[in-house]
Order: sequence, then structure tokens, then C-alpha cells
Amino acid sequence: MAVKIALAGNPNSGKTTLFNALTGSNQFVGNWPGVTVEKKEGRLKDQKDVTITDLPGIYSLSPYTLEEVVARNYLIHERPEAILNIVDGTNLERNLYLTTQLLELGIPVVVAVNMIDVVNKNGDQIDTQQLAKALGCEVVTISALKQTGIQEAAALAVKLAKQGQALPPAHRFSPKVEKVLNAIISQLPAEIPSEMQRFYAIKLFERDDKITAMMNTVPDVGALIQKAEDELDDDAESIITNERYNYIGSIIRQCYTKKNQSRMSVSDKIDSIVTNRWLALPIFILVMALVYAISMGGWSISIGTMGTDWANDVLFGEWVPGAVDAFLQTMGVGGWLASLIQDGMVAGVGAVLGFVPQMLVLFFLLCILEDIGYMARIAFIMDRIFRRFGLSGKSFIPMLVATGCGVPGIMASRTIEQDRDRKMTIMTTGFIPCGAKMPIIGLFAGALFNNSAWVATSAYFIGVAAVIVSGIILKKFKMFAGDPAPFVMELPAYHIPSASNVLRGTWERGWSFIKRAGTIILLSSIVLWFLQGYGFVDGVFQAVEDNNSSLLALIGNAVSWIFYPLGWVGDMAWKATVATVTGLIAKEEVVNTFGVLYHYSGELSEAGNEIWTLIAADFTALSAYSFMIFNLLCAPCFAAMGAIKREMNNPKWTLGAIGYMCGFAYVIAMIVYQVGGLITGETPFTIFTVIAMVLLAALVYLLIRPYKESRTLEVELKETAKV
Amino acid sequence: MPLTLAQVGQINAVKRIGGKEEVRRFLNSLGFIEGSEVMLISQNQGNVIVKVKESRVAISKEMARKIMI
Repeated sequence: MAVKIALAGNPNSGKTTLFNALTGSNQFVGNWPGVTVEKKEGRLKDQKDVTITDLPGIYSLSPYTLEEVVARNYLIHERPEAILNIVDGTNLERNLYLTTQLLELGIPVVVAVNMIDVVNKNGDQIDTQQLAKALGCEVVTISALKQTGIQEAAALAVKLAKQGQALPPAHRFSPKVEKVLNAIISQLPAEIPSEMQRFYAIKLFERDDKITAMMNTVPDVGALIQKAEDELDDDAESIITNERYNYIGSIIRQCYTKKNQSRMSVSDKIDSIVTNRWLALPIFILVMALVYAISMGGWSISIGTMGTDWANDVLFGEWVPGAVDAFLQTMGVGGWLASLIQDGMVAGVGAVLGFVPQMLVLFFLLCILEDIGYMARIAFIMDRIFRRFGLSGKSFIPMLVATGCGVPGIMASRTIEQDRDRKMTIMTTGFIPCGAKMPIIGLFAGALFNNSAWVATSAYFIGVAAVIVSGIILKKFKMFAGDPAPFVMELPAYHIPSASNVLRGTWERGWSFIKRAGTIILLSSIVLWFLQGYGFVDGVFQAVEDNNSSLLALIGNAVSWIFYPLGWVGDMAWKATVATVTGLIAKEEVVNTFGVLYHYSGELSEAGNEIWTLIAADFTALSAYSFMIFNLLCAPCFAAMGAIKREMNNPKWTLGAIGYMCGFAYVIAMIVYQVGGLITGETPFTIFTVIAMVLLAALVYLLIRPYKESRTLEVELKETAKV
Repeated sequence: MPLTLAQVGQINAVKRIGGKEEVRRFLNSLGFIEGSEVMLISQNQGNVIVKVKESRVAISKEMARKIMI
């Protein structure tokens, strides 16, 4: 018999670790219908007929966050045969709050007390038999990290699922509340099955309108609730919350013996140092400097850079092209097909895959920080700074990841609960210079700015400034107005990172980067190869030697006028335009494209040193800088646009975000070129100077204009999330 | 007094939680209810980390101001 088991528990309770341990590699990742909350399902190892659904980590079954609504709807409508509720044994009291609510659903529940090894090590004791009796369900102890007891827990859940009989919840509230609940139960319509009566009665009492909307007939219990509220001098929801905690408190007294009364745990002591008002920032900067030194720096500890250099110079510089060459020769393939494979596919895909070592090292280190628990503290530390320009500390993590690759960065915005904050984060994350934009910076820094370190520094500065300016400006518009949601976040206990969690996380993020190489980049490399290799000569369509007569040049010339105000004029105009367009495929394509367009026939180094003199002849310092700014800030690559589309989950917002980025990039590049040119005397005073001045004034006005009165905050649950 | 004024290491009972509904409810589900004991672990420009039951909860200044101890 095929059975469905739902895995439920608080965030940071070890739920993901347990899920991975139970299902191994038999996982399917998707989204819950209509929302961007990740849905993971898997089959139990050795028992293929048992599906385990990993519910989002939640603290309660109230209807206020997307995760809670998703989890609740699944439990009510899909009715899995059993719930495996993982609770953190070191924080039993808080975790049981959710348990008491799960028990009301009339679905068999197995409570798995996790981290039992830590509990025992602390010398604390949990009387599981007593706990089982008090809760009215099965209780087992496990350690998800050490993988002890997990098979037994799963087996028990499967057994209960097959029996299909839920025990009635044993917990009772105070007599006064029970009396009201019983009165409500007696008025419930007959369609409500008896095992769910208590759940519906409590939800009606709490005035949960999402539940009443689900019912065909809603009994009128307003007077009953009002009376109880008056009697107990509290609102109905708080009454239930208090009753739950009172009840849990009484269980804890029966079943939990704490040995050590000291209030400061190791995690608390670490927190009092690393989030301390003086040390927090220096420690953070040190940690981040180390992360980037190892992954992207140019020193002997920079494993990431070494890996990428090797991949670029040896793997995709010699080995793969050599092997492909040999293969093509033995197969007797030549001419255009060999060119397509070698110059189009291998070169294009290789350019992207070369970044993989650097990415993987960066994501590996970030995953370690996340698994240790430091990432949550970073959000806390950065919150005060980010709040000044309308973003919350939780927006910082996506941006941190985006310095590696924008795709996982944009995906990391999922953890931001508030819809508005999340959208703003998605819109601004792409401004952060990702790994693939570095070669563009390197090219122009070398060609026109004498390799000055200031160019790269200013690129990061422009990226960060774009985020800040956008944050402030967007907040002035009605749809983003209001303060970011108050920062309230649970900080997990520090622990030693688990190898499987870190590796899995690294791979999941890295894969989103690699996957596009095989799909969209492969396809666009082919298209690009065709467009630049073929064209019309004397009215005849044919393979062309001279790039200037290729289809690409034709297209570039046709649209390059758009960038005229940005200073892309003369010979370089179409080349810059084409490079920008290919940059949409992948930003690292920009440098490659220049290589091709400037007829450099050999293998180009990452920053394109070989074509520096040619570029210097075509570009001025100012037009180079304007080109760089536009390419750093404009719409990210296709893969990142895909990520934006997935996370926005709404075509209008997707277009809005991409349009905003392009518009912003255009305006800034234009201001820099026109106003900068006027100062240096490079550009004459034209109509575009006036437009640039007006745009600059508008920008400054938006920045300093006072905020409108902040509006009420509402957690916007998307339509489909509603029942 | 508001939570922002508590001393690091001090244990206080929560008297009242103000602020917006959703945030209050979220704090409730984290074990942060009236009467529960909280200990201030860290303070950073008004943002606080408090320990409630066995968990550490980070709360921004705006919200911490609305929690009376």
C-alpha cells in the first residue's frame, strides 16, 4: 500500500537533515502550487511505496505566513496518512507548541525528539513514555545528525499510517476554555469528521477566517467567543496561545529533568562575542575577507582561483579542445561542422564552465557559514545598516551569494517572508557584480585605466550604491512604501557543520550555475556562432571572413543608435552593442565577443589582455566606463532572468524587475557619460546633456524627497495560497 | 521599560508585547508570550538578541522598543 507521510517541524529542528537521511538521493524538488515555497518530496530508502513530504519549517499552524498556510493546506486537504513531527529535544517547550496543533488534525502523529545525543550530553533527561502519555501519541528519540533511531521513527510512522487510526489528542485546556470549545463542537455542521472537530472548534474560536472560508456552513459562535473573551479578559487567539503554553509547561514539568541550571549556553556565549556591538563588524569583515580570499583572491590560499585558472587554461584551454579536435579528425569531420562544434559549442560552454571551481569553493564556504549558524547572525548584524535604505538584514544573504553567481543569489531571497521586501531584494540583487562580470572589469581596467585597482573597487562600489539608491528610491513608490517588516528571526544554536548538509547545499547552488551551461548557453553559443560567421557579401548569403559583414554586425549597427547617448559612437558602437547583447547570454561572453569582433584569433586570456591596445584605440576612458557601468547594472544573464521569473512568480513583476534594471543602468551610464564628458570637455553640450542633467536632478530629488507616511503593513499572501 | 534598555545577562519577565498583530503572533509562536522570562544576550545598535525558553531570537530595534519588561 502506498502511503504518504508528512515531515513537520520547526525551522532549525534538524528537519532537513532527517529528510536527507531518510530519503537519500530519491528526492524531487519543486514548488508548492502557485507559490515560491520550495516543496521537497522523497521516497523512503528501501521502501519505495512510502512518500515523505518535507513540509516547510514552521513554528505554528496559524495562517500568517506563506509557509504556515502551505503546510496547513497540505495537511487539511491532502491528509497524509501520518505525520512525523521532529522536535528539538534541547528546546522541547517551544517545539511542542507546534506539536499540540498537529495533534488536533486527527492524523496519526509520531513525535521524534531530535538531538537526543546533545540532551544526554548535557545530562538532561526526557521521560519519553510520560511524554507519549501526556501528548497522546507515539514518541521516539533520534539523532538526525548521527543517524540514530531514524529508521525506527520512520518505521513507526509507516506502521501508524497503515493502521490509519489517530489517537484523540490527550491535551486539555482549562475548564472554562474547554466548556466554550465543547459548545462550539456541538454546533459544528455534520460534514466535519469527528476526529477533526477539535481543530475546527479551536480555529472558529480563534476567528481564523481562512478556515471559515473553507467550510460550507459556518455556525454563528460570535456570542460564545465574545463571552469567553470578556470572562478571561483577553482576545480569543491569545487565550488559546496561553492555554497551549500552560499545558506544555505542565508536560515539561512531568517529563523533563534539567541538570544544569546555568542560563548561558555555549551558543549564548559565542553570540555575546560575535554579535557584540564593537566586535560584530570587525569579525564579520574578517570572516568575509577570508571567504573571498580563498575563493576569488590571487594568493597561495586561493583554491578557487587556482581551480578556475586550471579549468580555463588547461581543461578548456588545451585538453577538451585537443580531445575534440582529435575526435573530429578521426571522424573526418571538417569545415563548418567542426567550426560549429569547436568555436561555437566548446568555446562558449567552456568559457562558462571555467568559473565552476571558483563558484563551488565560494558556495562551499558560504554553506559552512550557514550550517554553523553564522549566516543568521550576519543577517542580524547587517540589519541596522540595511534598514536605513529600506531593506532588511535578510536581504544581505542573497547579495552575498550573488557575488558568486546571481542565480542562487536570487533564489536565496526566498527566506524573506514579507512579499514587498522579497521583491525589492530580487530587483536589486542583480546589481551586485557577480563572478562573471569580473572579466569585463578586468578588460577595461587593463585596456584604458592602466590596470588601476580603483576600477574594480569602483565596480563594487557602483553595485552596492545601485542597491542602496534603488532601495531608497523604490521605497518612495506606493507599492513599496512602508518600513521593512520588523526583523524577528530565530538564531539556531551553533554547531559543527555536517559534511552531507554542506556538500548537498554546495552542489544544489553550484548546479544551478552549471545547468545553464548545458542548456541556454549551449544554444545561444550556437546562435552566436552562426550570426557572426555568416552574412551577406555583395547581396549573397555566405560564410564571411570579415566580421564587419556578418549578420551580427548588421543587427548591431541597426540598434546601436539606442546607446548613442551613452557615448557608444563611431566604430565601437556596433561592437559594444553586440557585446552587450551577448552579455545577456552570460556576462563572461562580453569579453569573448570583443575578442572575436577585434579579430583576435588565438585563445583569449580571461581579461582579454591581447586586445587591450585595439580596445584602447576605439574607446575613450569615458565611453569605456559608461559601457562598463551599463553592463554591470543592466538586465543580468538569461539564467538570472529565469531565476527572477521563478521567484517573482508573476510575469508583470518579472518584466518590471528586468525593465527597472535596464532603465536604471541606462540612466546612470548616460549621466556618467554626458555630465562626466561636460566636465572633462570630451563631449559637446547637446540635447542629451540636458536630458542627462534632468535625469540627474530627478534622481537626486527622489533620493532626498521625504518618505510618505508609512502605510499599514500587511503580509500579502498570494492568491493561490489562500484556501 | 522597553527591552532595548535591558542589560546584557539580565533576566526579565515580559510584561507586554505591542506592535503589529502578525509580528506579535510570530513572537508568540517562538515562545515569546507575556509572562515568559527572557534574557538579553547581545545588543547591537538597538537590535537585540534575547534568549527565551531555549532559543535565541534576534529582534530589531523597532520591535524591541514595543516589548515591555
